[in-house]
Amino acid sequence: MRIIGPDYLVFGVDDLEGSKTYLEDFGLKPVQLDDTGWLYEALDGTGVIIRPKADPKLPAPLETKNMLRQQIYGVEDASVLNEIEAEMSKDRRVTRLSDGGIEFKDDLGFELRFQVTIRRELSMPAEKINAPGAPAQRAPNELGVTDDMAALPRSLSHVVLFVPDMDKVVSFFCDRLGFVVTDVLTGAGPFLRPQANDDHHTHFFIRTPAYMQGCEHLAFHMGGPTELMVAGDRFVRKGYQSFWGPGRHKFGSNWFWYFNSPLGVHFEYDADMDKHDDSWVAREAPNGPEASQIFLLQWREKWAPSGGPEGGSGA
Amino acid sequence: MSANQLRLCHRDDIPEGAARGFLPLPDAPRNVIVVNRGGQLHAYMDSCPHYRGGTPMAWRKDAYLDSEGAHLACHAHGALFDIETGACVSGPCLGRKLTRVPLSEAPDGSISVPAQVAGRAARES
Repeated sequence: MRIIGPDYLVFGVDDLEGSKTYLEDFGLKPVQLDDTGWLYEALDGTGVIIRPKADPKLPAPLETKNMLRQQIYGVEDASVLNEIEAEMSKDRRVTRLSDGGIEFKDDLGFELRFQVTIRRELSMPAEKINAPGAPAQRAPNELGVTDDMAALPRSLSHVVLFVPDMDKVVSFFCDRLGFVVTDVLTGAGPFLRPQANDDHHTHFFIRTPAYMQGCEHLAFHMGGPTELMVAGDRFVRKGYQSFWGPGRHKFGSNWFWYFNSPLGVHFEYDADMDKHDDSWVAREAPNGPEASQIFLLQWREKWAPSGGPEGGSGA
Repeated sequence: MSANQLRLCHRDDIPEGAARGFLPLPDAPRNVIVVNRGGQLHAYMDSCPHYRGGTPMAWRKDAYLDSEGAHLACHAHGALFDIETGACVSGPCLGRKLTRVPLSEAPDGSISVPAQVAGRAARES
């Protein structure tokens, strides 16, 4: 099944104004959908939809207090929707929407929608680096950083869910929707990618008690590690709370930086994720600090060595 | 204020229904959250008990409450805590509590905490 990945994640939020400010400061562009709904989009049009939690336009909430209300996935074309509809209609109610999309619940009660993807094709360079022994990627006089450089989320990368029944959710996504497991953190859970996406993962599942079911975090791809660092640094300076990072994961090799949010989930900037094809054999490692990252750093105020010892000016 | 106390703020810095975070020392690893509920001040470490070592709870500076101001909230995973007791009432750390910090109030309204609070999170992590 040619599923590409998440187009939108939909939240019913407690603090609408706080969430709007947060998402815009994170670097997403606001698009008002109707009286009560806003889309905050990345450069390729993917993103986060928010509505007040009591909005009747939202799908039913999870039994937990988690604010995630629906995951909307993009597929390559309408034939994929027919394929998914035929498969899902075997054992559950599937609703066909006027725009051609389909809605149903997964085996754990998460609300899903599939649609022909709304992703706009991006044509932008990746971060360019120069290194001895390799052709220079930047031309002479082309600068690597500037104070006003853009550092905006390019695309919704992945969603991470807290799930109470790992076997159920993995067999649902793999056996029914054709996802493949790329790696496994034993004790936490597997990374998955769908057939029409070569990113290391669009999904990661973490085993938890039922009272935690919901979204743990979502991530947006940046143009490279420098953009990730610049965006995160600017976000911290606006007063937002770093949760984990910056650092670089081992599985997926992606750089990461996670932040708390008024949506009750973490928002992650990620960059430079591995790509895989069907010849890849999944690795397995015990979950923990060692397996989670190749290195972990922490933000600090700008500082520079200056002045001599004993208070000398040293300039 | 005695030598083993660290001043956080003045009572009037925390209006009724509000919460704020203060570093007890400039290089302390964790804020102390002070919340005013009905004129009574309560204080807790800014350290959600969901994960070992605790994690910071606000989503933006001083954003420690849910939108109604009814609970302290951890904006990592949406846990809600009773303001009077610090007990988790909903979310991933059900059954656990925030670490309460004893407050002292001087006659001039200065609010202070025991000095060891400044090293607290470092020892826990």
